[in-house]
This record gives sequence, structure tokens and C-alpha cells, in this order.
Amino acid sequence: MKLTLRVIAAAFSFVLLSGASLPVQAQKVIKVGAPYELSGKFVAYGAQGQRGMEMAVDAYGPAVAGHKIEVLLKDVQSTNQGTVSAMTELLQKDNADFVIGPIASGFVSAAVPAWRQKKALWIVPGSSSPTFEEAITGEELVFHTYPWAYHYHEGTAKAIAAAIGKGKKVAIIYSDGSYGRSQIQAARDYYGEAGFQVVATELVRENTNDMSPALQKIRLTKPDVLVGILQTTDAIVLAKQIHIAKLGIPYLVGTAYPQLQEWADAVGEAADGWIAANSYLPNLNAPADPKYPKLFPASKDWEAAFKKRYNRAPEFLDVTVYTSAVMLFLAIERAGSPDKQKVAKELRNLGVQTMLGDGNFVKTRGGALNQAFGEMLVYQRQGKQFTVVYPTARANGTLRPMK
Amino acid sequence: MGLFPQFLVDAVLLGGLYCLMAVGLSLAYGVTRIINFAHGEFIMLGAYGAYLLAAHAHIDPLLALPLVAVAVALIAFLIFKVCLERVLDAPHTNQILLLFAVGLVLQNVVALIMTGDDRSVSTPYALTATEIAGLSLPHGRAIAFLVSLILAAALVLWLRRTELGRATQAVAQSRDAATLMGINVIRMYALSFMISAALGAASGCVVSFLLTVSPFMGFHMLVKGFAIVVLGGLGSIAGTFVASFVLAFAETGVAYFVNEGGGWAEGVALAVLLVVLIIRPSGILGRATEGN
Repeated sequence: MKLTLRVIAAAFSFVLLSGASLPVQAQKVIKVGAPYELSGKFVAYGAQGQRGMEMAVDAYGPAVAGHKIEVLLKDVQSTNQGTVSAMTELLQKDNADFVIGPIASGFVSAAVPAWRQKKALWIVPGSSSPTFEEAITGEELVFHTYPWAYHYHEGTAKAIAAAIGKGKKVAIIYSDGSYGRSQIQAARDYYGEAGFQVVATELVRENTNDMSPALQKIRLTKPDVLVGILQTTDAIVLAKQIHIAKLGIPYLVGTAYPQLQEWADAVGEAADGWIAANSYLPNLNAPADPKYPKLFPASKDWEAAFKKRYNRAPEFLDVTVYTSAVMLFLAIERAGSPDKQKVAKELRNLGVQTMLGDGNFVKTRGGALNQAFGEMLVYQRQGKQFTVVYPTARANGTLRPMK
Repeated sequence: MGLFPQFLVDAVLLGGLYCLMAVGLSLAYGVTRIINFAHGEFIMLGAYGAYLLAAHAHIDPLLALPLVAVAVALIAFLIFKVCLERVLDAPHTNQILLLFAVGLVLQNVVALIMTGDDRSVSTPYALTATEIAGLSLPHGRAIAFLVSLILAAALVLWLRRTELGRATQAVAQSRDAATLMGINVIRMYALSFMISAALGAASGCVVSFLLTVSPFMGFHMLVKGFAIVVLGGLGSIAGTFVASFVLAFAETGVAYFVNEGGGWAEGVALAVLLVVLIIRPSGILGRATEGN
């Protein structure tokens, strides 16, 4: 009887002690805010953000530097107001230590004032907008892992100039939203710098039903290159209407959309020949990082694991968000704590080899202090393949004019 | 050749597309006096119906049109019975909010099932055009124009030549008088709501190969359609037809003849709407109405 009582008492004490230790364990959590476009117009971006985060947490394991990783997924609802609410909630109510997201340029810019209220370490795996770059000039805790607009235009302008020579004519069509307006100057500047003459710039409304007037006006200027600075929804209408109008322009250049499978599926044969630039392309066999091959595996291995899990090929934002999150976890591990200043320092010193290229954060010409993955591969859609045409050292084919 | 002839072609073709988008909305308001804020979602459902039949059964959107229109009409009937019938006599604000909510639900259900990916149907005629004397006539838009004419004519014929059509007009003119004449008003409301949805779905089928299909495409079309219906005169089918072309000519003209005018086109078109409403508050062919 005495033994039974002792056993019960011991068991009771154990339960009490375990219970007492629960709050201590609960404190050892690293909260990573993940505000993404999980509904609304840009839900395709948010889905990639969510998948990238899931892959990263799975790859790293449930804990980092002795802290459990807790991902706080929030829906920014593809609206500015939703973004402000999500960011405010993450930082003020949930006390997120780190934030990765959102993606679309407009929402990233909308998140800045909320972020300024309580500056967590913020990794931005999207937004190519110079407006955002201006807003974060000199900010030590913002890390941008996506190319800026000028990376696109500089890369494509140089690639086409290298292929067809200088002194050619370029026309630009851009949307009246923040995406188009924030990039038009960079496009003008870099095509001008590469020796092109900008002969036309045409503005179109977002969600327009008809781009024919803009295209017919462009036709009269007989450009050699047409650059389309539009979001995917409008880029589908643009590609179809260019194909229908038979403009006879030899080189068509897009921003991010020519790489998207949804864009290619939607426009069918009109996708062929489009040129664009990005830091990631599928099936390029980027090597694994020699020091962390499990976290930054060879691209073909990661792509295979992704396909197995989601039954689809990864898009570039899947890769960008995955890479951003794993770099953050690794920096936290090396910092030994979630102290944001220490983690920021470790992120700057990480220097890993990833599917997006070298993971080195550097200062940009626009004033952002921490930019990684600005090296662009210029490619052309040739049939169903992406042919890398620039830089020459990594090219696996040559640029060809549209038929 | 200058831009003017091509401007005329583009404006006429755009007018046809606008007419297709707005005529269902006009019919629904004309009969029920309810502005259907879910009309854009009926267009969206039609576009997805056409897309799914094209992608999985290889049925051309034009062949799929009757099937899709009937399917969306049945969905509209369900919405009418479950939601709308209960608020027929409620204040307009309640009706608008209810239909707006129905639209949001439809958007998000489709987004859940289909994801938010942008889509479009690729048909041989959607990517081709005929060149005549330097003029480009896109086949897809020309087909949209013809479909618009055929459906508008069919609607007018149905309203004028059939018993049900005349009953619908009677309800539109006076609900009380129609009731006294033995017309089942609720049934006529349901029928016109279904036909309106079917017309929306038909325009969705056409839009599926011209524009981008997404769960959120409906709102912009609703705004455009609403502007056309107001400009033409609320509830006037003929007014809707005229207003579609007025708006299309205004937009296309600005886009063609003003520097970077594509960005101003809609603003100028809405300015036209404002001017017309100041001069003629009931719209181009509308008649002054009083309450319900």
C-alpha cells in the first residue's frame, strides 16, 4: 500500500513538474510571419509562397537553434488593406521575430508602414519595384531575395544588344498600375544605355479588354523589340493580341510572366519566342552547396522532391521562398539565438550556393543594403524549352527572331 | 493607311463584346428592378465552364455555349430560390449587398476548386486575323460580335414574339397589373434572372478565348456592364445596345488618338457617362421610373 501511494505521489509530482515546465518550452519558439496572397487576384503567388515555406520547414526540421519553428501564415487577401492588417497583426499581436513575404510589388510596398512600427527582420522574396527599393533605402533589417526591375531590363537589353547590335528600335507597352509605372523609367534607361532608341511607349489599363489601339500605334514605329511590362493577367491578353495582329516585331520581351506555366498554357502557340530574365530556370542543373547539400541541394534533386510532394513542377517563387526561408533558418542557427541584429549579421555572411545563384547579400545601386540573387539568366522560350541566351558563359543556345 | 479605319473596326468589335457583357444585366434589372451585382460571376462561371469543357473534353467554347448557358441558368435558379426570392420586396441596399455576397462566395468557391491561376482557351480562330487592305479583322472578336448580335436579336424576338416574353415585359412595366392579369410574377422574375445569367454565361464562353479567365475576372466586367446599362437607360435593351457602342467608340478613340491614351480610355468613357447623365438623367434610351 505504501509503495502504491509512493508511486502515485511520484507520478503526481512528475505530472506537476512536467506541467510546470510547459510554459518554459512554449517560450522557446521562433515565430516566422508568412504574409502571403492566399486569396484574391494574386493567389497563385501566395500558393507558391506557402509551398516554399512548407518545403523549407520540412528540409530544416522542426527546430532551429533549440527553438521550435512556428510559421504564422496570414492571408493578405491580395489587397493593400489586407496586407497592412496581416503585417500589423503579425508584428504587434503575434510578436513575430521574422517575416518572409508578401510577394506582389504593390502589397510589399503597402506593408512598409506597418513594418516600420515594429521592425522585425524582414525577408522579401518578391517585389521588383523601385518604389519599394526607395522605401527601404538604408534599412539594415530588410533582405531582398528577388531581382529588381532594373535587373530584368538591364539583362534583357544587354542580351538583345549583344545578339542584334546597337542602334535598333524598341517600343514599350506598360500597365497603368504600380507594376508598370514603377518599371517604365528603368526600362527606358537600360534600353537607352544598351544603345537602343525608344521609339514608342504605350500605356494600357490594368484588366483592359483591348490592347489593339496601343499595338497598332506601335506597329507604325516599326520597332525591332517590344517590351511588355504587365502582370500575368494582362500579359495573357497582350501575347494573344500581338500574335493576332501579326506585328512583325522580331523580339518580344516580358518581365516575369514568360516563365510561368499558367501564362504559357493560356496563350498557347503565342508563347513561343518570348524573351525574359530571371535568377532561376527549371532543369538547369544548378549544383548543390558543398557545405550544406541537404539544405541547398542540386536543383534537379529539389525539383524532383517538389514534384513528388505537390505533383507539379516548381515555379520560381516556390524556389525563391524556399531559399529565403532556409537561409534565414541557417542564419538563426549560426547566430545561436533569434536576436535579429545577430541573425542579420549572419545572413550577410552566409555565402551559400543556391538554386538561385550565390546567396551573398550586397548593397544595390538603388540604396537597398541587403540584396541577393541579382544575377540574371536571360532566356527565350523556344518551343517548350527555355533556352539560356545570356550571359554567354552560361548560354545553351542563341537568340532567334520571331517568325 | 492611317489609324482611322482600324479604329472603326476595333471600336465596333469592342462594342459587340460590351453588349454581350451588359445585355443580361439590363434584362435582369428591367424585369426585377434588382441590380444583379453577381452578374460578373455568371460571366466568370460561363468562362470556366467553357474552359473546363475545352481542356478536358476538347469541346470548342462556341459549341459548349448552349450547354454552359443552361448549366449557369440552373445555378441562377438555385440562387434565386435560396436567396433572391426572400428579398424581392426588401430595400435595394439589402438586395445589392446580398447579391454582392453571392458574387464573393462564387468567386472564392471557384478559387478553391480551380486555384487562382490565370487561364484562357486557345482555339485556332482565337489567334488568327484576316488582313483586308491593311485592316486587321481578328477572328475571335468578329465571332464575339456575331454572337452578341445573334443573342441580342434572339432576346428581342423572345420578348416580343413569345407568350413568356410578353409576360416578362408586362411584369417589367407593372408588377401589380401583371399580377391582376394572372401572370405568375415570381415565376417571371425567376425566368428573367435565369435568362440574364445564361446571357452572362454566354459572354463568359466568348471571353474565355479572348481574354484571361480567373475567379476574379467578374468584378471588372460588372463595373463595365453597369456603366453601360446606366448609360443606355436602366432596363432598356435597346439602350444597352447603343450605350455599348458609345462607350466602345469613346474608349477606343481616346486609346488611338491621344498620346498614351490607353491609360485614359476608361476615364474618358466614364466622363461621357457623366455628361450623358447630366443632360439626360434616365440614360440614352431610358424612361424615367418611379420606385418599383
